[in-house]
Amino acid sequence: MSRCDFKIVLLGSEHVGKTSLILRYVNCRFNASAPYQTTIGAAFCSKTVHSNGKDFNVGIWDTAGSERYEAMTTMYYRGAHAAIICYDPGNNDSWMRLRYWLQELKKVEEDCKIYLCGTKKDLLDSGAVQRVVGEDIIQTYGQGLNGHFETSSKTGENVEELFQKIVDDCAADVKLMRDVEEHRLRLLKRETTTKSFGRDYCYC
Amino acid sequence: MEDVLDEVVSSEDLQKFEKIFHEQLHHGKVTHKAQFEYAWCLVRSKYPTDVRKGILLLRELFNSHPDGKRDYLFYLAIGNARIKEYNKALHYVKSFLEIEPANQQVLALERQINKRMEKEGLIGIAVASGAVLAIGGLVGLGFALANKK
Repeated sequence: MSRCDFKIVLLGSEHVGKTSLILRYVNCRFNASAPYQTTIGAAFCSKTVHSNGKDFNVGIWDTAGSERYEAMTTMYYRGAHAAIICYDPGNNDSWMRLRYWLQELKKVEEDCKIYLCGTKKDLLDSGAVQRVVGEDIIQTYGQGLNGHFETSSKTGENVEELFQKIVDDCAADVKLMRDVEEHRLRLLKRETTTKSFGRDYCYC
Repeated sequence: MEDVLDEVVSSEDLQKFEKIFHEQLHHGKVTHKAQFEYAWCLVRSKYPTDVRKGILLLRELFNSHPDGKRDYLFYLAIGNARIKEYNKALHYVKSFLEIEPANQQVLALERQINKRMEKEGLIGIAVASGAVLAIGGLVGLGFALANKK
């Protein structure tokens, strides 16, 4: 049983920078000299986030963008409270993939809050990369979703803001909060009954 | 990063990919993708027999499909660690790191495996020293009783 209050999953095509976004958020760092490494399967990390006067344990699933893992990624967004779908504004293929994930999510997880995230903002701002995904089309797709951010994992711009907005939205969701409270109670009950085994599980 | 070694596949997912694999097997042509997806579910099963089966399938893939080597190595390490074959698991970790020395996922996995070995090693020592204490206690008691007489 998961120890996390909220489950956030990152989706998006490969090379858009999902892992970098998480590393920036969780570890506050960005390593420009590190060679690019495709994520294998999925990776998990967690962070305690403060919102609305309370502390929440937020579990973040980083998924592999490679199409080779497509069938498996479904298992990771199942039960997610929020999803960040990443794209690179300088890469049209990544935008096409975003549309695919949007459809999939709506089909599988109706209640999941969805945030769009354009990555590598520093490259756009400096002119190193040209924007090929128009702002008007992003806005059209963003309607009815929970938010759209343009972030830079290199400078940290908007990264904190994106995750804080997600946690604030979750904390303000009455139905979700009721589930969180129930989940915490169940965990507590379970922990007191299985204390003698002393094992920690996290199946986020 | 959290413990990937504790992650468990749901039985529905396992069955879903098992079905695809067996259908392809029945038609005489199993794709790398189907075999990998099934093996990936198996090594994350809570039953050691499943994990062993997954390891076999991954080893076959490793030998026949060079393109997916890094994925196969990673899950071979996870599978072996899950059935407590820690030395084999570390062997796969080492092979992976020879190709990509700074891979964070694999370095994290290596730390987890070492942690488990340490934890289980310590438990072993604790049990052994507990037994020594108990025997010591019995011998002491014997002497005490003998002296009493």
